[in-house]
Parts: sequence; structure tokens; C-alpha cells
Amino acid sequence: MFNLKRRPFLTGAASALLAVTAGQALAQSAADRAVEAAKQYSGITLNVFYEAGLQPLDPKNFTGPMWEELTGIKINVIESPNDEMFTKTMQAHRAGSGAYDVLNVLPSQMPDLALAGALEPLDAFVDKYGYREELNNIAPVYRDNQMKVDGTIYGLPDDGDVMILYYRRDIFEDPDMMAEFKAKHGYDLAPPKTWEEFGEIGQFITDKMAPETYGAGMFRQPGVAKFLFEERFRVEGGRFFDPETMRATVNSEAGLKTFTGMLAENEWMPPGVEQWGFGEVFSAFLAGDIAMAVSWPPVGRWAAGYGKGTEALNWIPETTVADTIAYALPPGGKPELAAGFALSVASGSKHKEAAYLFAQWMNSEEISLQRVQLPYALRDPFRESHFASEEYRSRWPSAPEYLDILKAGAQTGMLDLSLLQIDRYNEALRQGFSRLWAGEDPQTILDDVAAQWDALTDRIGVDKQRQVYVDWASKPNAYPE
Amino acid sequence: MQSLSRALERDSTIKYILIAPAVFVILLIGLYPLIKLAVTSFQDISMFAEDKTYQGFINYARLFDDGRLWESILHTVLFTAVALPIEVVLGYLLALLFLEKLPLKQVLIGIILLPTIISPIVAGSTWRLMFDQRFGPINQIISWFAGRDIELLWTIESYLVWPAILIAEVWQWTPFMFLLLYAALSNVDREQLEAAQIDGASWWMTFRRIVLPAIMPVMVIAVLIRALDLFRVFDVIWTMTSGGPGTMTETISIYAYNMAFREFEISYSSAIAFLVIFILTALVILLLRRVEVER
Repeated sequence: MFNLKRRPFLTGAASALLAVTAGQALAQSAADRAVEAAKQYSGITLNVFYEAGLQPLDPKNFTGPMWEELTGIKINVIESPNDEMFTKTMQAHRAGSGAYDVLNVLPSQMPDLALAGALEPLDAFVDKYGYREELNNIAPVYRDNQMKVDGTIYGLPDDGDVMILYYRRDIFEDPDMMAEFKAKHGYDLAPPKTWEEFGEIGQFITDKMAPETYGAGMFRQPGVAKFLFEERFRVEGGRFFDPETMRATVNSEAGLKTFTGMLAENEWMPPGVEQWGFGEVFSAFLAGDIAMAVSWPPVGRWAAGYGKGTEALNWIPETTVADTIAYALPPGGKPELAAGFALSVASGSKHKEAAYLFAQWMNSEEISLQRVQLPYALRDPFRESHFASEEYRSRWPSAPEYLDILKAGAQTGMLDLSLLQIDRYNEALRQGFSRLWAGEDPQTILDDVAAQWDALTDRIGVDKQRQVYVDWASKPNAYPE
Repeated sequence: MQSLSRALERDSTIKYILIAPAVFVILLIGLYPLIKLAVTSFQDISMFAEDKTYQGFINYARLFDDGRLWESILHTVLFTAVALPIEVVLGYLLALLFLEKLPLKQVLIGIILLPTIISPIVAGSTWRLMFDQRFGPINQIISWFAGRDIELLWTIESYLVWPAILIAEVWQWTPFMFLLLYAALSNVDREQLEAAQIDGASWWMTFRRIVLPAIMPVMVIAVLIRALDLFRVFDVIWTMTSGGPGTMTETISIYAYNMAFREFEISYSSAIAFLVIFILTALVILLLRRVEVER
């Protein structure tokens, strides 16, 4: 009798306890869950692999110390130049050194790293620590395209890298300039909607204002010019490959138009623009030397004066355009989602779970919102909540406009080409650009690039590469609709 | 002590036992990487696959069909052939100058030697900045002389990249040549020089019959060291042009690096490394044999 009465009581009590525990667990944020679970690993050190420069200041100065205080886990940051990150990740994997625990992975390189077995699949961790809901709040373009390989999660999208057009409102809204431009070209002086308009507006401003101010200054260093090429080539209707034969079509009419267009623009851009990379473009824009620039999001923040006085940004020239900067999507309205980073766990890590928990914590709604507002770090808004954050939107007068453009870019942006051994394809394009600036014939260069791409595809295996390409090309943000 | 040397004379085994650890360490450090390199060159290792199968001489056969490789070797040979004589002549002239009595001679020698103690990668970066169109002083200086704005893209334009690299290389390594030749010239027999002068020998005869033979052993070593360095040149070119435009300034070292770390063809780059070792070994043997013959 007693037993009969006792059993339902115990069952009920256990259910109630479970419900309370589960409720508490659900009430916790993903960041809290990661911290609680990570405490069991207190005393260990995680090696976190980061791009050298400003990026690692986040784990060094901000998240690393905070994580250690919360969990007792030390963070050791290992830095590498961007273009060596893939090699070093692969070398550590091949050597089985376990040198890294948390990795920063360029999404375009994720298939290679995943197929080589260098990355740990994360689905089990995501489920175990209830992170799916917060992952879903990442802006779709990053969540759907920079997280998985063959349906398996290998990285947590962590950086909203998108190429935005920055321009000078004072020049574009100058009544005399507007009137003269309209009289000359028959349309309003406004942020260019096409690359033809970009050329005309840039030339017009240069003619009127150079050498004090040139129409624009753009990435022309071969390593970064490829981002602009990939975007513009697709906006002009180009396709990288024929999906049937997998023969490269980069030397098509669209390729030639893009190459010749970029070459022609150098004529009215500042002398020596062929050497310009990220540093040159932002310093020229901040100095007021150029009226337009297309670059990554930090330029928009720094030009507006955000982070002024921060020790880590002392090397950045004083902005002269803080009150006049304006933001728009680049010509074509389909900005390149250039590079970006996802947080991954190295398959050779001796502390995979702890590494994942650190990545989840950093990537969570709560912590990532703080990270993308660090003036010195280069992480850019990538969650819906980042774009909508009232705190972020009040950071400087034009911050709402800035965040709205980043959000728009995250909707229409186009993915970097991602293939097996993509670095080798990029290398051919990089060399092509250095030949273009040296004065070689654009069509000859493009034909050579296409031939090199074909040789690579043959070497890797046409069917194998086709599968990867078709999978990439089928994504909504691979080509303009 | 005497008993030890007697024991060594008596029993040569002890000698070998004593030097064995040092030989072992040298073999381990020096020979193992070479053996590993040789083994790798016969495999099919790339960074993208676990495959380590042996494929015979395929990588070596590929060397002969690789136009870009031979182009890079040609660049290397030409660069060495141009840079080396310039460094020797400038180094010799500087050394001659410093044989004279000069005020603050030691300080000046110290200043002249500064470039050689700078890391080549830093030297390359510095020269890249010097040649930079926006921030570099080179174009400004040329503009002052020209009386108008000169905008030369030293690290971009195909006709300027090699001169720019040559200037950087000569700037950094002429002092090395100067130092060795200065030491050698300081030891030339003064009495012979004075005797030649009294006998009315021309400058050229004095140089050819007295100075050159006296400095030749040092000069050959200096040329050998610099020739090997120039053949392996990497840092300065990498920082200034990365081998561009296109592959125009790609030397054999840069090509091998690109193959290994940009194209990720580890086995093929090992074969290239062996080709370089073969070429350099042949060069060293040839040069040393010539010196022996001249002796």
C-alpha cells in the first residue's frame, strides 16, 4: 500500500526536479551554459589561432581575460598572417601536433579543411549545449553559407565581412557639383548604381578636385583586388565555370569587361593606386584624399571617428571625414562577402569540448554583441541583434545608417568563390592582377588564368571539383539572382 | 696529457670513439633533413591529401617540362650575374678608398657595414617603402632633380622591378664584399707595390700582377659566398614584389616556396630543392677546383 502511494510521489518529485533543472538550464543563455560547462576544465590553456594584427586584440585584451576569470581556462593566442593561416592549420593537422585548439577559418577554405579532417564536426556540441537557437539568429547569409560542409557544422560564423561603399556626403551634396554633374551626364550625382556610373562619377570628381581629392581609391594590390574582381565579374553577368564541363569561363566577356574597367579606373584614381590595399584605402579616405572607397566595415567605423583615442588605434590617421561620411552598397548592389571568419575546433585539439565552449561563448548573442563593438577588433556585425542593437546604433551619429547598410549587404552580398584547393585558383588570379597592372594584355592574362584553372581542375579531378562547385553555385548568394 | 696522446697514437679506435658523438650530431642535423627531402621528392605528398605513395621519378621528370621553373632559374642566374660583379667592383672601390687615411675612418666603416646586419626581410620592407609611390623618398628625390613630379611605380612596372630589387640587394651586400676585400687589400705587400711604382708599372699592371694575386684567395671565397647567397635570394624579392608582376621576378627560391606553400605541392617542391642543391654543389665544386688549379 505504502509502496503504491510512494511510487507516484517519487515519480512526481523526480519529474518536478527535472522540470526545474531543465527550466533553469533553458533560462540560461548560451554564453552562461558554455561558462558553466567549461568550469570543469579549469586550469587548462587553450591555444587560439588568429589572424595577426588587430584581430587578436579581442582574445588578448577582452574575451581571453574575461573567459579566464569566469572559467579558470587560460587563452593563449597564436597569430599568423592571413595568407599563411591555411598552410599553418594544415601543417599542424598533418603533423598531428595539436598546436591549436580554436581556429579562425576563412569560410572559402572550410571545405578543404573539413575534407582533410582538420576540423572537428560541431553538431554534437551544438546540440549538447543547446546552441542551435542562437545559431539561427545569425544573419542568414553567414549562417547558411559559412557554417557547414556537406550538411555538417564545422564553424560558427563569426564575422560579417562585407564590402561597403563609403562616400563623402559633402562632395555628393554640393549644389555646384550636383548641377554641373547633372548637366554633363544627365543624371543625379549620387552613390553609383552601376560600375559605368562609378567610372563617370569618379572621373568627374577627379577632374574637378584632384590632386586634393580624387574620385575614388580602390583595392588594387593583387591579393585583395580579387575580391573586387569576383564581385564585379558576377555583377557583369560572369560565371566562373561551365558547370557541365567545369572549364573555366573567367576569360569571358564579363571577365574582360571587369579587367579593362578596373584598369581604366586607375587612370583617374590617385597615382600609385596599383599598390593600394586595405591600409592605403582607409588612410586615404580618412585623410579626405578620395571621395569614394569600397572596403571592409571597420573603415566605416574609423572614418566616423569611432574608437578615437583608443590606444590600439593610435596608428590610424586622424579622420577628417567624420561628419561627412555616408554609406551605400557598392555599384551593382551585390557586395562581396569578402573573407570573413568562422570559429572552428581543431580536430587535433586535446581539449575539443573546452575549445568548442570557448567558441560558443565568444559567438553567443551576449558576448558577440560586445565583441563587434570593440573599436580596435576587426569583427563586424553578423547577427540580426547586432544590426538592431540600440547600444550599437547610438555609438556615433551615422551608426544607424551604417548598420542598416551592413544588414542590407548581408542580405544581397555574394559569397567568395569556394572550391577544393581554392588558394591555388586565387593564386592564379593574384598573378593575373600583377600582370594586368604591369601593362600586359587583359585578354591574354585572362586566358592564362583560365588555362591555369583548367589545369588545376584536371589535376584535382573534374567530377570531384564539379560536385563542390555545383554545391557552392546552388547557394542563393553565389550568383546574382 | 702525454699518456693520452700516446694512447691516441697507439689505438686509433679511441679517436673514433671520441669524435663519434660530434659526427653523430652533425649527421643527425645535416643529413637527416636531406634524406627526408630525398624520400619526399619520390612521393606524392600535397597538403590536401594523406597520400604518401611512392611515384618514382615523376617529380624529377616534371622538372624538365616545367617552363616556369626554368624561367625562374634564368631569372636567378641573370640576377646573380648582374648583382655579383656590381658588388665586387663597388666593394673593391670602397676598400681602395678606405686604404687611404680618412678622418673618422672606423666610424665610417661601422656605418657602411650597417646594412649587412639588418635582416634581409627588414631591408626588403624598407626598400619597398623607399620606392613607394606615396610615402617613399625615391620618387621625390628624382622629382627634385627632374624639376617636375615623377611617378614611377618601382615595384609594379615591369621595366622597373629588377632595377629596384638590384638596388636593394647591392645596398645591403656591397658592404660585405667591401669588408673582405678591405681586409685582403690591407695585407698586400707594400714593398712590392712601391717596387712596382719605382719600376714604372702601370696601374693595371700593378693590379693584375701584384694586387689581384694577393687578394685572390679572399676574393674567391667572398664571391663564392655571395654567389651562393644570390642564387638563394628570397627575402628581399619576396617583400618587394612577391615574385611579380606575374612571375617576372620569381627566382628559384621563390618558385620553390610558392610550390610548397601556395600550391601545396610538397613532393614537387622537394624535387626542386634537390635541383637547387645539385646546381649549387656543382657550382661550389667547380669554383673550388679552379682555385686549387690556380694555386
